[in-house]
Amino acid sequence: MTMTTILVAEDEPLMRERLLEMLAQSWPEARVVQVAENGNDAWDGFLEHEPEVAFLDIRMPGLSGLEVAQRIGKLAHVVFVTAYDQYAVDAFDAGAVDYLLKPVQADRLERAVGRLREKLDAASAPPADLGHLLQHLKSALPGMRPERIKWLKANVGRQIRLIDVEDVLFFQSDTKYTRVKLRDSEALVRTPLKDLLSGLDPDRFWQIHRGIVVNAGAIAAAERADAERLQVLLRDCEEKLPVSRTFAHLFRD
Amino acid sequence: MWTKVSNWYREWEDEQVAVLRAPELAAQVKPGYRRYFADRLAALDAPKRQQICEFSLKYRGARLRGAIAWLALVFTLCGVLLHFTSERYGWIGSILFANTIGFSLTLALIGAWFDYDRILKQKRRMALAVVAFSIMGLAFGMVLWGQAPDSWLVRLPNMMWGMLVGILCVSAPVLGISLWRHSQAKATQARLEQQAEQDRLARELSESQLRLLRAQIEPHFLFNTLGAVQQLAQHGAPRAAELTANLIAFLRSSMRDMRCEQVSLATEFALVESYLKVMQVRMGERLRYTISLPRALEQVKLPSMILLTLAENAIKHGIEPSLRGGEVALSARLEDGAIRISVEDSGVGMSATPGAGTGLENVRSRLQLAFGAAAGLALLDGDPTGLIADITIPQLTP
Repeated sequence: MTMTTILVAEDEPLMRERLLEMLAQSWPEARVVQVAENGNDAWDGFLEHEPEVAFLDIRMPGLSGLEVAQRIGKLAHVVFVTAYDQYAVDAFDAGAVDYLLKPVQADRLERAVGRLREKLDAASAPPADLGHLLQHLKSALPGMRPERIKWLKANVGRQIRLIDVEDVLFFQSDTKYTRVKLRDSEALVRTPLKDLLSGLDPDRFWQIHRGIVVNAGAIAAAERADAERLQVLLRDCEEKLPVSRTFAHLFRD
Repeated sequence: MWTKVSNWYREWEDEQVAVLRAPELAAQVKPGYRRYFADRLAALDAPKRQQICEFSLKYRGARLRGAIAWLALVFTLCGVLLHFTSERYGWIGSILFANTIGFSLTLALIGAWFDYDRILKQKRRMALAVVAFSIMGLAFGMVLWGQAPDSWLVRLPNMMWGMLVGILCVSAPVLGISLWRHSQAKATQARLEQQAEQDRLARELSESQLRLLRAQIEPHFLFNTLGAVQQLAQHGAPRAAELTANLIAFLRSSMRDMRCEQVSLATEFALVESYLKVMQVRMGERLRYTISLPRALEQVKLPSMILLTLAENAIKHGIEPSLRGGEVALSARLEDGAIRISVEDSGVGMSATPGAGTGLENVRSRLQLAFGAAAGLALLDGDPTGLIADITIPQLTP
């Protein structure tokens, strides 16, 4: 039997520890493949490990739990972990979203795990798409408006260049740095791509790969690279960018 | 005849009282003299209508007749006295004269009593009216006593003097009453405004207390802290007892301080420290803090809870949203003869934190209330990141 893979994202160390210990008890046949301390790591870890279930704290540094869930979409089952009061989480009950109130209590977690097991057993049923509900939740919960990046600072030689984020054709992850490709030049930014992501407008900047975010306005076309993989062709740029399987849906009609 | 007049008057009076109580009824009154009066009454402001209404209700029916009879008696006596000093007008003339003047003056004074604003605002018009009526009265008197028009010129200087005295007799009390009533109304208004200001400040204080109460029982704070306690306790760690002790210290001292308007810096720093200790256990390495309070400043007083509000903001809007966490530094020092207290954080800074102004308005107004314009709150960008909240309060010599 293959073990169910789990991602846990929670910013407070003690709460994280607690959730992990409780999960080990109530769901021994599951394996935690990624533990994240903030939303950016959660999303990056999700892309790396593609777990089947994600337990997400709603209020985290970087991407909020809601934003991570929105990106996960139908790729995994999401359970929110939240200290928002009953009034706020009433919105969850309206949809198919499961949630745990902090501090998490054992009986409540067991019920959530039971429900997850059922959903996972009925393999035909894909995880619910929460896009619409999450949009609503984001506006309902306080302090949930993300701050967008307008200018990027890049070291070029001895100068610090200011780059208007709109002028970027694509971002490419380069370990601790991010390569920023512009029409006629490129630069390195000292922030990892996963941390830039939360400041980029997801409607304009599409993530097409764990390590690549492309300006949708710069895309000329998408084409098949081989039987399985897609790649993106850009205007004003020779480079071809790979599209990972996770994001192939962006180019399906 | 009498009952008819009396009924007519009662009806009119009822109508006026109704209009005074509900000015919108004025529009339903039949056009004519009654409508004119109704409109005038309806145009008055509410406190005046209230006063006139009370007056009308007090002096109606038998009481009104009694008052009129009593005044008539007094004026008649005055007329008799007048007759003794000067027999020029005869018995009837003197009594008639005294009653006319007396009742006119009474009506004028009642008018001035209730509508003082109007008399003061339209001084010139009122003066003209008084002069015009005096001249008319004089002419009327001349005709009544059968003075030949050719003798008028001879008596003109005398008449002018008489008129002047008459005008003074009428205007002086009317003006006096108006001015007195006006100043009284102004004093009442000032008192009401002062009351409103006090109410506003009291409301602000209770709002800040309420906000604090909410901050303590806010799910994020209380439940996350209890979750941390539960996790630590599960493993029998001594840190569980320590965290609980800090939580208790925080809750207890904040509840005590909440009831005080002012506390010493030492007390407020201790409160903030207990809060930061709780948060540090919860956030682990993501939060560091330093606190420094010179001994000389320990007993300085400042409004309660404002440093805690700033520290909470630093955590909530600075450190918590920051990926790398950061440091909170609370310090106080003497600078240019004033006391400066800083809450610095190295978190995400001002631009990235919508809603960071929560509670800051309240902090500002409470500082102003306690120290006037000499105190203030300034927000500065930290270097290289974060936010510095600087409070300045004057150094009070004990």
